[in-house]
Amino acid sequence: MWAYVVRKVLLSIPILIGIVALTFLLFCVIAPDPAVVYAGKFKSAEQLQAIRHQLGTDVPKWREFVNILTFQFAHSFRYQESVWGLLARKAPVSLAIQVPAFFIELGLQLALALLIASRRGTLLDYGLTVTAVLGMSVPIISLYLAAQWVFGGWLKWFPVAGWSQGFFYALHFAALPIIVSIIGGVGGGVRFYRTIVLEEINADYVRTARAKGVAGREVLFTHVFGNVLIPVLTNTVVVLPLLFTGSLILEQLFQIPGFGALLVDSIHAQDQPVVMFIVYVTSLIYLVMLIVTDILYTLVDPRVTLK
Amino acid sequence: MTSAAEITGDSPARPSAAPQSIGRQAWRRLLGNRLSLASLIVVGIYVAVGLFSFTPFVVARIDQPYSADKTYAPPSFWRTLDDGSRAVAPERWFGLDFEGRSVFWRLLYGTRLALLIMVCTCAISISIGSVLGLLAGYFGGWVDDLITWLYSTVSSIPWLLLVIAMAYVLQNIQTMNAGSVQSRIAQFFGGSSTVILALGLTDWVGLCRLIRGEVIKLRDLDFVVAARALGLRRSRILFRHVLPNTFHIILITFSLSSVAYVQAETILAFLGLGITSRPSWGRMIDDSKLELLRGVWWELTAATLAILVLSLALNVLGDALRDALDPKLHGVK
Repeated sequence: MWAYVVRKVLLSIPILIGIVALTFLLFCVIAPDPAVVYAGKFKSAEQLQAIRHQLGTDVPKWREFVNILTFQFAHSFRYQESVWGLLARKAPVSLAIQVPAFFIELGLQLALALLIASRRGTLLDYGLTVTAVLGMSVPIISLYLAAQWVFGGWLKWFPVAGWSQGFFYALHFAALPIIVSIIGGVGGGVRFYRTIVLEEINADYVRTARAKGVAGREVLFTHVFGNVLIPVLTNTVVVLPLLFTGSLILEQLFQIPGFGALLVDSIHAQDQPVVMFIVYVTSLIYLVMLIVTDILYTLVDPRVTLK
Repeated sequence: MTSAAEITGDSPARPSAAPQSIGRQAWRRLLGNRLSLASLIVVGIYVAVGLFSFTPFVVARIDQPYSADKTYAPPSFWRTLDDGSRAVAPERWFGLDFEGRSVFWRLLYGTRLALLIMVCTCAISISIGSVLGLLAGYFGGWVDDLITWLYSTVSSIPWLLLVIAMAYVLQNIQTMNAGSVQSRIAQFFGGSSTVILALGLTDWVGLCRLIRGEVIKLRDLDFVVAARALGLRRSRILFRHVLPNTFHIILITFSLSSVAYVQAETILAFLGLGITSRPSWGRMIDDSKLELLRGVWWELTAATLAILVLSLALNVLGDALRDALDPKLHGVK
């Protein structure tokens, strides 16, 4: 077991180096000089040098590479504070939207998938599947915009956009983005999990259970559900790091000052250190989660043996 | 649906008939299915409209205001003339946007950009993906290790984030070098070259993986061994004998991932990356966010429907292609 974990971690070291190299290549070699981008073309050489010094880009290239590797990032141009401080300040706001949205969405997806798979071939199955496919073909932004307009602008159930401190104020503003996010994301999952549930429902052990006289509902919720949880687990652990990054589109649209909106703002403001920081750190956490998923997979599924 | 004889590909009724090529069989299977035939026609219409919008007839109409006070107007079939009579006005069929420009003509022009993005992005991602997959699968050894490392790295960065990073860097390069050859090329693509490059350079991983797997299966088959024994050049074995056998994977990837590119363009346009001076569908959806709260729903609806219908058609077509071309799936329902 531990040998397996250690091997997995060791195998991901080249990939880690790859991510560092790619970040370095994109932001320190291919990208134009951040000082010029930020200051505009017509600054004097001294001014540019001063900005470079402030950014820490007046060092040799290899030094920049080492800086990325050792997590030493320049301060944000726009906020004049450390990127870590920004992360600590913005991430909780993103989580306040993403965590409830994620769990409600997952629950809904599983419930609907179980429902339509157990009623296979009926009008309900057909209708929900078609709706899910349609939902996946609509551009996500159109869906968000339409929902914002219907619930915020037309029915006036929720504020159109904004954010406020304090639990109940936050809830007031977070409700619509959470609902919209669920509407946008539920379709794809239902379709994916439906296939998995169907595979399990047609398995031999289900027929055996039925033949023994186990009630239909019990078969579905204990036997089938337990096995469906394996792909669910591997499917969701990978998404977890993206929760604190927030949804770029959602936060921008509803003017929620989270981590996703920070990335969009930084793109507009040419705040290169922040863009690089977010890309780099999210990739690293994503990599870690990929390894965790691999390990979890072997833990929860006895059919997979550790090599 | 098709009969058993068609599915298995042999025709017991006419044993002496010439054997059909896989391509022709697949083509017949595709045309035999009503749904995939319909989606083929829909895609054909999009291509025709896209080609039509290259004409100056359409280009001249995209920025022209059609209402006297340069403001929006809801969709209408007619246009009221000065003397009170009415005339058919295609420019008002989908309404006018907030500057009085015709949503109809802009939508038509958007088809051209969508097709350009789909075709050019696929050209980039497919050539990178298939060549790397081919090399990794055929040669194995350190070549395989290197390429596997490359795609593992790229695939362990969340795709959207990588696309955003790439588009951000490319856009900055472009604005820094105004007036260069690069910016003139960008002009031809209506400014979407950022989108095309960012998507194409990041989305080759899936295809590369598939082709590598397929080539590993192919490289020890008799016809490849025979080609090697005959002393053919490596490049000829690779591109004349091995690559054509992975063609079905490439075709399916083309139809399925080109949908993803059109969808990704809307996200990039919304985030302010790859902003074009010309009306792409993503740009139209982005524009509509300001008008929507004033009740101007037609620009969003028009652009969304255009993407929805194309996505559905290409998805159906992709699935049908997979069924028609993948020999393993024959007869499986």
